[in-house]
Amino acid sequence: MKIIISIILLFNILYAHPHTFIEVYPTITVKHKTIEKIHFVWKMDEMTSSMLIMEFDVNANNKLDPEEQHHIYENYFNSLIDYNFYTDITINDKIEKFPKPKKFKAFIENNKLCYSFEIEKKLNITNTLFDFGDPDFFIAMILKKEFAKVTGAEAVVSDLDNDFYFGYRLELK
Amino acid sequence: MIEFYNQLLKQIVMLQYQLNSYISTTIRSINDDNSFSTSLLILVIAFLYGLIHAAGPGHGKALVAFYFTSNKSDYKKAFKMGYMISIIHAISALVFTFGIFYILKTMFRRNFNEMSGIAMQISAVMIIFVGLYLIYEAYKSKKIKEQEIKQSTKSEYAVAISAGIVPCPGVMTIVLFCIVLKQYLLGILAAITMSIGMGLTISVAGILSILFNKKAGNFLDSKGYILEIIGGLLILTLGVFLFTSVGHK
Repeated sequence: MKIIISIILLFNILYAHPHTFIEVYPTITVKHKTIEKIHFVWKMDEMTSSMLIMEFDVNANNKLDPEEQHHIYENYFNSLIDYNFYTDITINDKIEKFPKPKKFKAFIENNKLCYSFEIEKKLNITNTLFDFGDPDFFIAMILKKEFAKVTGAEAVVSDLDNDFYFGYRLELK
Repeated sequence: MIEFYNQLLKQIVMLQYQLNSYISTTIRSINDDNSFSTSLLILVIAFLYGLIHAAGPGHGKALVAFYFTSNKSDYKKAFKMGYMISIIHAISALVFTFGIFYILKTMFRRNFNEMSGIAMQISAVMIIFVGLYLIYEAYKSKKIKEQEIKQSTKSEYAVAISAGIVPCPGVMTIVLFCIVLKQYLLGILAAITMSIGMGLTISVAGILSILFNKKAGNFLDSKGYILEIIGGLLILTLGVFLFTSVGHK
């Protein structure tokens, strides 16, 4: 049995391993146990950022102009819908489709490429879980307790047991 | 065991996250006064980064492990294999990064993704052939009732090329980061030291497999060829699995 488990593990670990690290900063407003709005900021690691900024910042002014941001949104960010934006929202044990992100912005901060966006969906905190991770494990989503800013409820961050990739879970209590 | 694996995975990810951040900050901090000592520090970190990076999923550890399950070898061979893979890995990453960067300077990432996909498919086909070859060798050895399969250096090189030809995006990212900051030599040296670290981890996978092979081989005694055929089949499945997964992306 041990051998079989080892072989299964070896098969799974062949695939990918994190090459990009994205820090997730969620800001959540809760009123009467209902989530009113969620604002996310993703900060990519400096090495990945340098590679992407080189491509995105076409006029090399170290800023992402509106046209450049539009290009990122259309060609890169939007395609993450296939990956549910690396965020599974589970309501009553059922994974929901990630709502269409609004107010997307891309900017450079301390040599890091950052994405900022919002989702507006009324959710009851009692039955809702946010799981961050990439099942392909090419990207590691990093969520520390201090990254989550929640008003009207308490944020609980825990490790996500995904069996073969690593992620984080955010619960509101 | 799954829980242990999850914890291990978490530690590997967190260490890489910290080392990745440390390397980028340190490379940026290089100036005329501290260039030698800082560069040396970066190379040491790159080595550690490679060591841990290869401990995570990927890098042909499964292929190497299966290969040594199907071939009676000594530890020296496992080291040789680990380092052959890491040398090919480093060369492949350097050629891809510098090549794509200078030939197709814009749209870098998109082209890298495409090139990486092609390289992965080539690698998968090669892995399939290695699997078929090993099964054939094991079958042949059974027929002539030999206890040991004659170790072929040809298959060793085939395994090393199959596993190493896919350039490691981790190495490529460091090299590219150095190129962007115009630290070309440091980029090359960091790719080499990171690959040395990875080679060590891959070698350990081979050594563990040899240890297992020795125990199981004694147990199976004259039926050792069964293990060898299983090893070959696993490599073959791995190749098919890899090929179909690349095709889906």
